[in-house]
Amino acid sequence: MPLEAPARIVGELTSRGYNAEREAVTRLAAAENPNAALERVLEEIPDDALVVRTDHVETALSTAGAAGAVGAETVAGAESQPADSTPSVSTGTSPEDRDPTGGSPVETEGSRSADPAQRSLEIVGDMTGQSTGTGEYSDFVSVFRDRLDRLGAKLRGRVNHRPATAIQDMPGGSEVAMVGLVNDIRSTASGHWLIELEDATGTFPWLVMKDREYADLVGELLCDEVLAMEGTLADDSGIAFVDAMHFPDVPRTHEPSTADRHVQAALISDVHVGSQEFMADAWNAFADWLHTPDAQHVEYLLLAGDMVEGVGVYPDQDEELDIVDIYEQYEAFSEHLKKIPGDIEIVMIPGNHDAVRLAEPQPGFDEELREIMSVHDPQIVSNPSMVTLEGVSVLMYHGVSLDEVIAELPEEKASYDDPHKAMYHLLKKRHVAPQFGGHTRLAPEEKDYLIIDEVPDIFHTGHVHKLGFGKYHDVLAINSGCWQAQTDFQKSVNIDPDAGFAPIVDLDTLDVTVQKFS
Amino acid sequence: MRPEDERYFRRLEDQLDDAFDVAERAKERGGDPKPEVEIPVAKDMADRVENILGIDGVAERVRELEGQMSREEAALELAEDFAEGRVGDYETRAGKVEGAVRTAVALLTEGVVAAPIEGIDKVEILENDDGTEFVNVYYAGPIRSAGGTAQALSVLVADYTRALVGIEQFNARQEEVERYAEEIALYDKETGLQYCPKAKEAKFIANHLPIMLDGEATGDEEVSGFRDLERVDTNSARGGMCLVLGEGIALKAPKIQRYTRNLDEIDWPWLQDLIDGNYDDEAEAADDGDDADDVSSDDADVDADMDDGADGDDGDDTADDPEGPPRVDTSEKFLRDLIAGRPVFSHPCAEGGFRLRYGRARNHGFATAGVHPAAMHLVDDFLATGTQIKTERPGKAAGVVPVNSIEGPTVKLANGDVRRIDDPEDALEIRNGVEKILDLGEYLVNYGEFVENNHPLAPASYTYEWWVQDFAAAGVDVQALEDDPRIDLEFPDPEEAVEWATEYDAPLHPEYTYLWHDISVDAFCDLAAAVAEGRIERDGDGSVDGNGDDSILILASDDTVADALETIVIEHRQRPGEDRIEIDDWRPFVRSVGFEPRRTAADGAALEREERATTIELERTWSDDDLSDRARTWGHEAAGDNAIEAVNEVAPFQVRERAPTRIGNRMGRPEKSESRDLSPAVHTLFPIGEAGGTQRNVADAAKHAETMSDTPGVVELEVGRQRCNSCGTETFKNRCPDCDDRTTPDYRCPDCDQSLEPDEAGRVECDRCEREGTCVETREIDVNDEFRSALESVGERENAFEILKGVKGLSSQIKVPEPIEKGILRAKHDVSSFKDGTVRYDMTDLPVTSVRASELDIDVGQLQALGYEEDIHGEPLTHEDQLVELKVQDIVLSDGAAEHMLRTADFIDDLLEQYYGLESFYEFEDRQDLVGELVFGMAPHTSAATVGRVIGFTSAAVGYAHPYFHAAKRRNCDGDEDCVMLLLDGLLNFSKTFLPDQRGGKMDAPLVMSSRIDPSEIDDEAHNMDVVTQYPRDFYLATREQADPEDVDIEIAEENLGTDLEYTGFDHTHDTTNIAMGPDLSAYKTLGSMMDKMDAQLELSRKLEAVDETDVAERVIEYHFLPDLIGNLRAFSRQETRCLDCGEKFRRMPLTGDCRECGGRVNLTVHKGSVNKYMQTAIQVADEYDCRDYTKQRLEVLERSLESIFENDKNKQSGIEDFM
Repeated sequence: MPLEAPARIVGELTSRGYNAEREAVTRLAAAENPNAALERVLEEIPDDALVVRTDHVETALSTAGAAGAVGAETVAGAESQPADSTPSVSTGTSPEDRDPTGGSPVETEGSRSADPAQRSLEIVGDMTGQSTGTGEYSDFVSVFRDRLDRLGAKLRGRVNHRPATAIQDMPGGSEVAMVGLVNDIRSTASGHWLIELEDATGTFPWLVMKDREYADLVGELLCDEVLAMEGTLADDSGIAFVDAMHFPDVPRTHEPSTADRHVQAALISDVHVGSQEFMADAWNAFADWLHTPDAQHVEYLLLAGDMVEGVGVYPDQDEELDIVDIYEQYEAFSEHLKKIPGDIEIVMIPGNHDAVRLAEPQPGFDEELREIMSVHDPQIVSNPSMVTLEGVSVLMYHGVSLDEVIAELPEEKASYDDPHKAMYHLLKKRHVAPQFGGHTRLAPEEKDYLIIDEVPDIFHTGHVHKLGFGKYHDVLAINSGCWQAQTDFQKSVNIDPDAGFAPIVDLDTLDVTVQKFS
Repeated sequence: MRPEDERYFRRLEDQLDDAFDVAERAKERGGDPKPEVEIPVAKDMADRVENILGIDGVAERVRELEGQMSREEAALELAEDFAEGRVGDYETRAGKVEGAVRTAVALLTEGVVAAPIEGIDKVEILENDDGTEFVNVYYAGPIRSAGGTAQALSVLVADYTRALVGIEQFNARQEEVERYAEEIALYDKETGLQYCPKAKEAKFIANHLPIMLDGEATGDEEVSGFRDLERVDTNSARGGMCLVLGEGIALKAPKIQRYTRNLDEIDWPWLQDLIDGNYDDEAEAADDGDDADDVSSDDADVDADMDDGADGDDGDDTADDPEGPPRVDTSEKFLRDLIAGRPVFSHPCAEGGFRLRYGRARNHGFATAGVHPAAMHLVDDFLATGTQIKTERPGKAAGVVPVNSIEGPTVKLANGDVRRIDDPEDALEIRNGVEKILDLGEYLVNYGEFVENNHPLAPASYTYEWWVQDFAAAGVDVQALEDDPRIDLEFPDPEEAVEWATEYDAPLHPEYTYLWHDISVDAFCDLAAAVAEGRIERDGDGSVDGNGDDSILILASDDTVADALETIVIEHRQRPGEDRIEIDDWRPFVRSVGFEPRRTAADGAALEREERATTIELERTWSDDDLSDRARTWGHEAAGDNAIEAVNEVAPFQVRERAPTRIGNRMGRPEKSESRDLSPAVHTLFPIGEAGGTQRNVADAAKHAETMSDTPGVVELEVGRQRCNSCGTETFKNRCPDCDDRTTPDYRCPDCDQSLEPDEAGRVECDRCEREGTCVETREIDVNDEFRSALESVGERENAFEILKGVKGLSSQIKVPEPIEKGILRAKHDVSSFKDGTVRYDMTDLPVTSVRASELDIDVGQLQALGYEEDIHGEPLTHEDQLVELKVQDIVLSDGAAEHMLRTADFIDDLLEQYYGLESFYEFEDRQDLVGELVFGMAPHTSAATVGRVIGFTSAAVGYAHPYFHAAKRRNCDGDEDCVMLLLDGLLNFSKTFLPDQRGGKMDAPLVMSSRIDPSEIDDEAHNMDVVTQYPRDFYLATREQADPEDVDIEIAEENLGTDLEYTGFDHTHDTTNIAMGPDLSAYKTLGSMMDKMDAQLELSRKLEAVDETDVAERVIEYHFLPDLIGNLRAFSRQETRCLDCGEKFRRMPLTGDCRECGGRVNLTVHKGSVNKYMQTAIQVADEYDCRDYTKQRLEVLERSLESIFENDKNKQSGIEDFM
């Protein structure tokens, strides 16, 4: 996650409750990997410090120089501190602690002393084996009706809504409100916006004047998302002028649940085993690290799709595959999974490279593939699914719709550099892939499995190969990076992936630390 | 020009004049949009340019400049004329630039294509940010037909004229520059560019262009960044602009540079950087570029050094390493995008594939490939005359022509016979017994093809034409042997061949030269061992088999021996049951493998008299150890994979490589010969709205009434308002219903209803309201009355035709309907009208330079009547089989075309008599009457028709004509197709008024006609055709060196341009018995469903030695089935829905479930059935042809996706076994 701009470093520090000296920020910005450096500084800074000073940065940067292949932020025992002028803290790093060669596995049994009895893991919304749609027209209609019913329910209490057909019959000038799916968004010749809302009775056009405060929100709208509009009917009752827009949204009152003990979950995705660009070394470093005492609290591993590179995902893909056989890809992935400590609970969902249907919701892998990956006994569930780890709910979704959100929304609202901000919009719309007919593919089922019915504590996606996290109304949104180096395609479109990172979430505090393995 | 040529053209023009007179008289009388013929005759290119542009004075100036300078220079010269007002009547500077640019494009495209009128929308003057003015040129999609050079030059001319009239350069804003780059990439993705500049290159060009390139939106896809720019009207890709920048400027920079250098007024120094590829921004370079540059140049030096070193090494290596035979590189490009049903005939350079033979048959050249007709039948009729093939080299595609003077294919039959098939009849007879096609025979490509494609010559097959020159070079008096009636030099007896080779020290005759280079040295040694064990037998059938006695060679049955014999393509019989392999022509063969046949006296006088003949023993002259290292390791891909050197060491004579170059190819498009109908077909361009039902039946419309109270036949229609000049009556017809005088369009201002007159440019604008005037209005027309009175006026009854189809509405600018009378007569003769009122017939183009009366279904008398007096050898024309040189504008119609022309002629005769009140013109009884009649040839994307004359007919489904005729229409023969129209049909029924008022509407319409072809003014591709009777020996030797074709001296047509000989002397090296041989129609057209075609395709791939059937199956799956499945599945999960009742479309399924418009039933547009139609077939094919796991797994994954989407997990479809 490149954070070149000093302004963003300041922003990041502020969001974590620190002030900073100007020189410190400059140093950070000049560091080879400003983000990693920043994390390092925060890792090392004394607990009581409020201002990040230049010497904090210097210390952090100097220790970084000695860091091996294993992540620079690796937490180690703090027994032997170097004779350093900087006050050290218990979580600080010390170069002497590290194995100078870096990658050798640490098979220390004692380091992993988890008590399985304390764990709990529940799955909600797994539709594997529940795909009842047969691709009929009526299936599609049911999905969208279900969407309107369930997301509409979150809005109907907030406005005095009327059906579309009833609004047409109301006298001009009335105050009206409606809950519906966005059917169409158009700009008018004079620069205003015309938004057609549709409910189970029909459609009604709503005009957003370009100079109104809501005009800015129009840029965020996607077709087929559910929202409520309030406004005034025109004289001929043919159109209404929007005074307010309401989204299903995450209530501001939302308070996340946390685990009762200090336990961590690693949130990763996009492993892409089988690709020539799969970063086996980084993965091994990650697996090795999980065996170290530093990782002793990591008891859960969530994998948000694209375990393997797949076959036939794009034309002539076979020429760029390291493993051409899809089953061998999963076997290789399974081998890589075996390196993960056996006591870590693993939950995985499929992605667009995996050998399941592309249309969403995607059921979990079939028996044949489950068999291949059975050694570690992972929980394999559908994309999307909600996983609750010791009370903390995590909505896992692979993230194909992020491409669309980023393409449709203005750059300042959603971009590949800040994938978590694109995720905020999905949370706000309470739907992981609202727009139909565009980039995202929909498989019609009896209900809309893509709705975010319950507000999760953590929203975890991948797909765009960029690392980013942040909080939206106290929901932690994390887009994990990937384990695949830059591909030729990514090079051609100038995407620089964040490869070899593992965000680690403290389930008791929902704090995130990022481990780097590349 | 020779007097006979002059006579020929005079004759055509006289004939044309006669028809013109008739047409002019008819037009004066009828109710056509114009009272005169609307296709002006252009005698030369200058005329065409002027006519297409409609700018007076251009033709004269072009003629003045033509002799003095090149066409490009003339375009620049004309730009000056425009700037200074000497040519064209333009008031504004923008107008001057526009005139100059259009003229330049017209000039460079020889006034044939529509690009100058359709491809350039307008030129306007806008303001730079610093307040200076710049020129903006609006391009449109049809600029594509101008080609890169003309596109690029149009920019240069615009810039030059801009400088001359004193306008500043364009300074692109940064966002505009970025927009260019993004837009070009978008256009390339959406539509595709021949050359798509990289973003950096596009930005570099955009930054430096002195004029702004703009244009109309051509696609739906919009750019994502750089939208809503002030000076760019659209967010979609502007196709015309993208073409000009990409295929024009970026691709043709060196060509433009040639002209910018000579112009003082303008300066394009950046072109050099563009050519060199230095498009780093100057700004960047100033900052930190210096160091980087240094480093990179250092690197470059190092690289160069290393290269040198490597080269040096290579040089040394080649000296040490054994050299190999000369071979071309394989190219797989032609196999790309293989589709189901279009078979592969040979994989790249594959053994058993077509063997390259050089030469030009008389129906050949100009992007065609000569194939033996027997081969056409043996590939299960997939190849027919005119079928397009995609080929490995020298070009990309070619039209197939039948040539039977080349070697036919060799097949292995189910009974074990291996036979070469040189007769198409034999091919049909044995076709069912063919087990394997071991060799496809020869494939004729002419030298000019290599020149045109600038392709290095590929090593030539050893053929008769080469051998006979080798023979002469060895000191033999070839002429004497040729004159000896007992000797057939081309097909000698085996003993003769051996004798010539040994006696005269010339290489062995190709007839007995086998494909030794295709077997390995090891296989050769094994074969020799087998021969050593073999014996000579009398087969007892009494035949002498050309050996001078009744003897054959018998080898023991053995798979490797059989393989070797099949690979070297020698005729033989495999009889494994009797443990023998029999070879008839064994003498040259055994000598080639190093054996001496020796006669030994039969032992024992006890034998009967007739069997007392000597027995023959084969004496091996060498042992395996005798082979030199060179021969042992000789090879191309692997050491020792080529036995030719071994043969040369053991044989008593020289043996050349028989077929060093094989050419891969596959089927492209099938040939075409069918009438051109609009869809649906239309008899009359008379509008009837929805009243005629989906059939657009005029008779139905005449009875149609919306409600009970409406008068039947009265329909509301959008038509143009016309007003009578004398009595003022308002009508929609071209003649006043009251006084029969001509009417003119009645333009009004839509705001103030004031009457308006069009200005000189044809624009109609209201001065007061500043609005465009129009004459189009919606009015009630009594179709019933129109229909009945039209029937009456031509004296026809409704039962004269099955159905009379009109159009829903008119798309022309002033919406003048065609008189229904014409439609009635068209319907009567079952011909339909194209959008411009003409009746057309499409045919695939093929070239022919000399013809025989016998193959054209005409007699000598008819030829003589057309002015053919001598055959190609200068002998008087007396019998049907003599070849005569085709005159440039004479064409051969396919049977279908002739039939269609006859019906058209009947229609024209009726039209003249019953509508125009004149005498009939054609009065044809049978198709022989068509001979000598004039037609128009007209190609898509062009705007000029070329006059042609019918000379005869062919059963092939193609239009054979002189290559110059095709080139005049700007076609070549690689599968292109275009149309013919009967002359008087074009003259009488064509009107510009009918042409659609939209971009491209003027394309494919005869805006002008060329009455005679000037060889200098046609597509210069035709000039590269070779016109000799024999290629010299040096040529064949040069092919072994893979020389540049330009370095070989063979006369091509270009050399005669501008001389008296420019219309004659099109000699050929190979004859063919008939220009229509092999199947008349490709199996692709006769087989029914796609599945049938694919089955036949895969079946054929199994039979062909040169084809890897697994690869074919894989490609069909990868390039056809999988994209189809994936595409449909994607479409399914993002589909639109449509109302079954009213047709309304919805982006997403309506929540009401029913249609929001009409309450009708809404349904999906992509169903399960259309998604998975190929699934099972694909899986089956993958399985049967043993495709690789990658492909199979893709299918498996897809199949599971389909199941997951279309099947209910809880209610899986179960088979009967679940219940047992």
